Amino acid sequence: MSYDTLKVCIIIPAYNEEKSIAQVISRIFRLHPEFTVVVIDDGSSDGTAAAAKAAGADVITLPQNLGIGGAVQTGYLYCARKGFDVAVQVDADGQHKPEELDKIINPIREGQADMVLGSRWVENTGYRSSRSRRAGMLILASLVSFFTRRHVTDPTSGFRAVGRKGIQLFAEDYSTDYPEVDSLVSLNSHGLRIIEVAVEMDQRQAGSSSISSVKSIYYMIKVTLSIMIRSVR
Amino acid sequence: MERVQVLSLCLSVALIVFVLHLIRRRALREQYALLWLFFGLVMLVLSIKTSWLEWMAEAVNVFYAPSLLFLVGIVLCFLLILHLTVVVSKLTERIIVLTQEIGLIRNELEKHGQEKNG
Repeated sequence: MSYDTLKVCIIIPAYNEEKSIAQVISRIFRLHPEFTVVVIDDGSSDGTAAAAKAAGADVITLPQNLGIGGAVQTGYLYCARKGFDVAVQVDADGQHKPEELDKIINPIREGQADMVLGSRWVENTGYRSSRSRRAGMLILASLVSFFTRRHVTDPTSGFRAVGRKGIQLFAEDYSTDYPEVDSLVSLNSHGLRIIEVAVEMDQRQAGSSSISSVKSIYYMIKVTLSIMIRSVR
Repeated sequence: MERVQVLSLCLSVALIVFVLHLIRRRALREQYALLWLFFGLVMLVLSIKTSWLEWMAEAVNVFYAPSLLFLVGIVLCFLLILHLTVVVSKLTERIIVLTQEIGLIRNELEKHGQEKNG
């Protein structure tokens, strides 16, 4: 299959992101006008859906808030039913740069991997974060590396691309609570090839991470348990 | 008949009557209605036939018969709660699937409407 015939869909889960969403979409279209952009409006109370529509995205409005996992899975369902070859997950807050899209899509186009993870840590990139956050990520990374028996450095990265097999798998089963880490283990246990590439990320333009510092310990325990359950299932 | 026996008799009859009332109002699904009716009947039987409880307690070497009742009651409560959390999890899963489908269908509908109008 040649490069141009592959249908690529960008999945953007968005919850009250009216300030940043339009810019994210228009930046993607400026570089890749041939891509489809689908925004999953996860029960936002602001003008997220309208802003995304005006920017040219296909918008799926969920009647109630499902949380990040349920929203993203809706995107994978959309991609599976419309027959897309590649699905790329991009955050609505603008921290994932559209200039880096090719880096994470190309390994799939070339058939080198079934999933590509855009990682902040593989090489020294421009991303900085607090010490406790880094410690948490390190623990998660070693956990995932242990259970998948692969070297993974940034399992919480929401900047990722999957091919047809991954789209199908995610459409059928996707963790609703802590999708980023969990989905890696699930793909790996189905024998899909996961690779990481280094990407540059911006500090988020608006909004805050879905994981606050207070909840992070609870989050870590839940994720750990969930990974362990998945790997024995 | 002892006083406590009268009390427990009244309570179990009240439970059965209340469950029947809920079934009549269709506030309770049949599977749970059966469960509660079963509980009510067991309580009724044990409060009439206290000798049965004493016999059971003796069989498992429990000296104070009512404490066997507590044990069984607590175990049943735990099982019921566990069952309910399983049900809630299943319902949550279904609601997620339905919400996603509604989103996707709405998206299709809007596109359809646009084609017709434009």
